[in-house]
Amino acid sequence: MATMRYREALNQALREELLRDENVFLMGEDIGVFNGAYKVTQGLLEEFGEKRVRDTPISENTIVGMGVGAAMLGLRPVVELMTINFSLLALDQIVNHASHIRYMFGGQVKVPLVIRMPQGAGHQLGPTHSHSWESIFVHVPGILVAVPSTPADAKGLLKAAIREDNPVVFIEHEYLYGQRGEVPDDEDHVVPFGKAAIRREGSDVTIIGISRMAVTAERAAEQLAEKHEIEAEVIDPRTLRPLDLDTILESVRKTNRCIVVEEGWPHGGVGANLAALIQEQAFDHLDAPIGRVTGADVPMPYAKNLEQIAFPHEPEIIDAVLATFRDI
Amino acid sequence: MAEIVMPRLSDSMEEGTIIRWLKEPGAPVARGEELVEIETDKATMTYESDAAGVLEIVAQEGDTLAIGEVIARLGDGSPAPSPAPVAEAPAPVAEAPAPVAEAPAAAGVDPPADLPTDVGPVQGTPPVEPVRSAAPVPHVDGSQGRVKASPVARRIAKERGVEISGLTGTGPGGRIVKADVEAAADTGPADKGPRLSSVEERPPGGTDRQGASDGSPAPPAPAPPPPAAVTSGEPGSAKGEVTVTEPTRIQQLIARRMAESRATIPTFTLRVTVDMSQCVDLRTTLKVSGAETVPSFNDLVVKACALALAEHPSANGAYRDGKFERYARVNIGVAVAAEGSLVVPTIFDADQKGLAQITSETRALAERVRSGAITPPELSGGTFTVSNLGMYGVRSFEAVINPPQAAILSVGALEARPVARDGEVVVRQQMDVELACDHRILYGAQAAEFLARVRGILEAPLSLAL
Repeated sequence: MATMRYREALNQALREELLRDENVFLMGEDIGVFNGAYKVTQGLLEEFGEKRVRDTPISENTIVGMGVGAAMLGLRPVVELMTINFSLLALDQIVNHASHIRYMFGGQVKVPLVIRMPQGAGHQLGPTHSHSWESIFVHVPGILVAVPSTPADAKGLLKAAIREDNPVVFIEHEYLYGQRGEVPDDEDHVVPFGKAAIRREGSDVTIIGISRMAVTAERAAEQLAEKHEIEAEVIDPRTLRPLDLDTILESVRKTNRCIVVEEGWPHGGVGANLAALIQEQAFDHLDAPIGRVTGADVPMPYAKNLEQIAFPHEPEIIDAVLATFRDI
Repeated sequence: MAEIVMPRLSDSMEEGTIIRWLKEPGAPVARGEELVEIETDKATMTYESDAAGVLEIVAQEGDTLAIGEVIARLGDGSPAPSPAPVAEAPAPVAEAPAPVAEAPAAAGVDPPADLPTDVGPVQGTPPVEPVRSAAPVPHVDGSQGRVKASPVARRIAKERGVEISGLTGTGPGGRIVKADVEAAADTGPADKGPRLSSVEERPPGGTDRQGASDGSPAPPAPAPPPPAAVTSGEPGSAKGEVTVTEPTRIQQLIARRMAESRATIPTFTLRVTVDMSQCVDLRTTLKVSGAETVPSFNDLVVKACALALAEHPSANGAYRDGKFERYARVNIGVAVAAEGSLVVPTIFDADQKGLAQITSETRALAERVRSGAITPPELSGGTFTVSNLGMYGVRSFEAVINPPQAAILSVGALEARPVARDGEVVVRQQMDVELACDHRILYGAQAAEFLARVRGILEAPLSLAL
């Protein structure tokens, strides 16, 4: 075990996979000479050369499109979009091509492509640079969606994504890049897709945290135990497609209450989807309506004070949990 | 307080008539107990209570209500709040010149008969504009009668036999949660909410009309009473006295369907004579051999039709909403006359069943029709109908197609007739049948082929045994 930052864990995963498989290569804006906008690709150009680590023009649809073509021909490209906000420019390649090609051609070609990009609010980047868009990509059949919240998962899931034969949307988080955590040294530390992590065990309420919100939920759970004698079980799904619904249902059947926390907007969000799935399959185990804590239903404000109240923190999660127990 | 509403007892049911309450007002009712007989458009059915409690009858015998309307309430036995809650008394005061229907309709509640006189809308209402302001309809709680409990609380209450309506909820908004049910189930009987059994221990509060309030099974249901007749007209007029009666629901349905059939189906009819001599011999042989079930001629016709239908899909289908429907199963309806009515119970998968089974099933169904015990599922799902008036000596007739079916076979009387065979006049057992067809799906040549096949089977009935 070594302690490292989330971005270092991602860097290690990329380096190990570049070494392991010569078909793996990286593409993206500023990932080479500049070492990446968030320094995730630090040192990789130097070590692997321009053939394996390629700087690209500013053209997201082209970056992903090249990745799709390379993947169809047998390579394993890992493309970086500077942030998830710019993935809208590449939605045609991601949705209409990467996710559908294996189906359209009856399995004759595969698209083992990884699209890495960070999301999240909190850095005063305004309405066009602060989105959380896992809900958009979860909507699309044919792509897998990973939302790692710890350095260990960042490394293990990225290695799994690179080895995966289907396209993966790999959603990192800007806030998490600097967070430290224990990461296994093992070069084959791979976290399988479709297996949720129980971050904290508890018997009274299930809190599902998506992406960064898994971390926020865990902190809220500590306060719930200290101040309210409520033992929350915190689940980090880690991948949203495939989704480990079994682990979630098992927990809800135990606790009878459930709150879903996400940073994105409420309408059509991941929490809305999870709430539907849970009530369909565990209706008779619910003691309260499934609660959702989400980002505010507004474009992200620029002003720091407004931005901070526009995405969830511990107090909103605690209030949502308490509301399932009593009138507050 | 659970509300019992008019249930949907058949697919086509829109409203139902209360025929008879099997429990007295005030009597304890357990879940699953027979509660009321309801006449639907297809049959009279006994409805079993899906809740427990003390019965308060809302809909009287003879009342006809739409599906979903409240017919009764099951309470916890406590006396009804008196005077009636304000929310239930939104009727306008008598002297207000408002349209009478306005206020109660707005509240969606039937005004109780014994309306307290002091709850009228008399808050200084100027008489000029009575309608708008004279009826400040009190808010009626939309969840009235519904106990607020979480899904898991309901499930555990059911598993552990806790009557949830007797509990106090500690959850948000007074919701009964799992912990409340568990606490009630775990503490002694004194603290429990009323359990299912305790409801039954209550003294019967009802009258002695049927003596059924002790929870013993109600006596078997008699046939629904005939609708009241109204006599009118001058005795001396041309037709004399006219007796007008309301048709029963089944009679209304027959009227509607038959008119629809004649008005909308382009019908043509094929008639053939079938030589039934071998069928007569077959029955004689079976009788002599002491067979347990000897099929009637009609059973033989049903089986012959079933085999022919399996081979002629256009006859086993329907023209419906501009589309052809062809059915995988061959389900033959057999028209049975009941007292003042006509019902068509169904022999399902008649092509797959042996003659003996068709015979016994038909007899059982006919018996259930006559006793009024037939249920809607037994009357639906038919893909073809056989109607037989031969027993009355009717030589042939053209029955009305039972929509949306493609055809109906009318069976006439079996009789010995002189016929020409090989240049000789011989006496044979002859029977005329008519096939009325919907030309939108079943055309002349196909219908003729089908009918020829039916005839062929009946003239060489050994194949029926295969």
